[in-house]
Amino acid sequence: MAVPMEYYLLLSAAVFCIGVFGVLTRRNALLFLMSVELMLNAANINLVAFSLYHGNLTGQVFSLFTMALAAAEVAVGLSIILVLYRNFRDVDVTEATTMRW
Amino acid sequence: MSMPFDLAPLIPLLPFASFVIAVVVGYFAPRALPKGGAIPGIAATGLSLVLSLWLAVAVQGGETVNKSIYTWVSGQGTFDLHFGVLIDPLSAMMLAIVSLIATLVHVFSLGYMNDEGETGLPRYYAGLGLFSASMLAFVLADNLLMAFMFFELVGLCSYLLIGFWFREPGPASAAKKAFLVTRFGDYFFLIGVVATIATFGTSRFVGTGDHHSFPHIAEQALAGEATVNTFLGMGPEGWFPIVGLLVLGGVIGKSAQFPLHTWLPDAMEGPTPVSALIHAATMVAAGVYLVARMYGFYALLPDVLAIIALIGGFTALFAATMAIVKNELKQVLAYSTISQYGYMMLALGAGGYVAATFHLLTHAIFKALLFLGAGSVIIAMHHNENMWDMGNLKERMPVTYWTFLSGSLALAGIVPFAGFWSKDEVLYEALAHGLGGSTVLLVAYAMGLLAVFFTGFYTFRMVALTFHGESRTETARDPHGVGWNVKLPLAVLGVLAATIGLVNMTPVAKLTGAEIEYLHQWLDLFEPTGAHHYAELLHESGYSVGTAGLGETNLALAGAAVSLALALAGSLLAWRLYAVRDPVVHTDKLGGVKTVLYNNYYQDEYQVWLAEGLTLPIARAADTFDQGVIDGVVNLASSGSLFAGRQVRKLQTGVVSTYAALLTLGLTALILAFALLGGWF
Repeated sequence: MAVPMEYYLLLSAAVFCIGVFGVLTRRNALLFLMSVELMLNAANINLVAFSLYHGNLTGQVFSLFTMALAAAEVAVGLSIILVLYRNFRDVDVTEATTMRW
Repeated sequence: MSMPFDLAPLIPLLPFASFVIAVVVGYFAPRALPKGGAIPGIAATGLSLVLSLWLAVAVQGGETVNKSIYTWVSGQGTFDLHFGVLIDPLSAMMLAIVSLIATLVHVFSLGYMNDEGETGLPRYYAGLGLFSASMLAFVLADNLLMAFMFFELVGLCSYLLIGFWFREPGPASAAKKAFLVTRFGDYFFLIGVVATIATFGTSRFVGTGDHHSFPHIAEQALAGEATVNTFLGMGPEGWFPIVGLLVLGGVIGKSAQFPLHTWLPDAMEGPTPVSALIHAATMVAAGVYLVARMYGFYALLPDVLAIIALIGGFTALFAATMAIVKNELKQVLAYSTISQYGYMMLALGAGGYVAATFHLLTHAIFKALLFLGAGSVIIAMHHNENMWDMGNLKERMPVTYWTFLSGSLALAGIVPFAGFWSKDEVLYEALAHGLGGSTVLLVAYAMGLLAVFFTGFYTFRMVALTFHGESRTETARDPHGVGWNVKLPLAVLGVLAATIGLVNMTPVAKLTGAEIEYLHQWLDLFEPTGAHHYAELLHESGYSVGTAGLGETNLALAGAAVSLALALAGSLLAWRLYAVRDPVVHTDKLGGVKTVLYNNYYQDEYQVWLAEGLTLPIARAADTFDQGVIDGVVNLASSGSLFAGRQVRKLQTGVVSTYAALLTLGLTALILAFALLGGWF
């Protein structure tokens, strides 16, 4: 127990906030995907940290699931971005505003 | 149960079949229909007549039937609704009258419609068939609801037939008026039917086994031996008269009693055989028949009886006065019908069940005769109905003249023709029970007696103007001939009008003590609806016979003498004035009175005012309230949510960043809220 728990949590919070900041400020859909990855990995850091803290493996197993989910999400996300590009000749999310009232 | 009773449902079903034939064949293959549907109609009503007479013979043998045929709603532990057949002396008599008149009217129509080259005959005969069928089914009905249904069907048929010449404005509007005015009365009847079923749990006229009839339950309830549901917080004494009056509303509409009589004179726009059917046997008779049918109930309610008597007496006089100034043959007859049905109501109200039934019987015969006679005259006059254009027709059409005269003597009440015996009995009942201590009945009697004079006057004014004097127009000098199909019904009815009164010669019976009151005996054959039973009920309701110290026989003879004298006076006066070579319009001497009479006491005007001046504004106001307030609230709710939706949807910009920002902000706000409320800080 060399590193105290708080550091892991602070790291995780920082990575998550970076991800949220990216989603809110960027217009490029690819950067959206990357930001989402950051948020997911922030959660993974938390899971692994708590797993270590509690001394069982449940959190680590969960983080494996999260990674699989992230992979799937990227696959879906990339295909959406491809279609977006095909339709709008761009991957700027503020351009594709046809799905509204 | 014997053969004729099993066949009883066929009596209305046969004319119904002729209706179906006329409609179906008339629509798909009009050429295949013999005489435009007249032959099936005559065959059907003729067979009904035979069956009715057979039934009457069986009833004379002491048999009756009261059975349910088809139950269409059966309640668990409450009431059931069914169609059934009730054949007692009253309905057997009525069946015979209705089918006889219907048959003769069908035959007469051959002369009036077919020979005159009318078009649309299948429609006409279909109407006649349905009309006869619904009236016969109404007569057979064993419960009030079934009676109501066929009562309505009768009204519908009158609408269809009065409006037969619907391309002309007159008949179309008359048909509408007849339908609406009678519907107005029927509305009360409908509430009355519901009230009867709600009160007694049954609407049977006569009980069988465990099922009691509603008059019987009412009798027990008034005696405190049974409990019924009453409404409006009243006891049986207060509630029953209301039920009785509600049903009476339908009767007043259908039987053209004041103030709902206005439809009947207009109904003259229909073909004349239809008028004969409406006035003699079907439509108008239905109202009076209904009161007679449920007389066991009315006999318990002396207040309602007094109202019936008063309405009847007033209508008899009121309509008779209007008849004396009319110029058209059928108009005179129309008002005489209203007046004569007033007599029947007077008899029913005065406790004269037999008298009313008797007058219903004789009136059916002589009024059908008069209308068919008028139809014959109208054929001869090329559809001109104005009596001032006729004159001296007795030379040209003797059969019509002699039969019409027979009917007129019966209508005026001259001995020994049918109307004398029945009208005399009506007046006797009113007088005797009035002297027994009822001022209302005496007033009604006085009005009825006065109407006798007017009846004699207008009847013989009509006869004299039509058949006597000099021919006043070219058409009257050379009238169109009529065939056997006109003369046969006239002959049959002419003989009956002279003789049918002999079935119940009460004054003669009282004088000689002979047992010749056959109708009275006939109506006593079945105890629960017998005249004797009703007399007992009336006695318990406080009706008693008074004789003013003359004795019953002398009173009957004095009454008969007075009414005969009045009838003769009226007739002779009319004869003196009008049976001359060149009659003049003597009624002009009445001056302003004539204008009032000619305009029917402005009854139509005030009813139109009621509709247009009163009901229409109220309906408009209600419409405004409905459209403005009721619909306004609903519309406000919908436009409010539409507006809100239009504003809120602007959140959906389509820019993903906005959604993400909103999500984040929302989450942050939630966390902050939980934090503040949860006291994390």
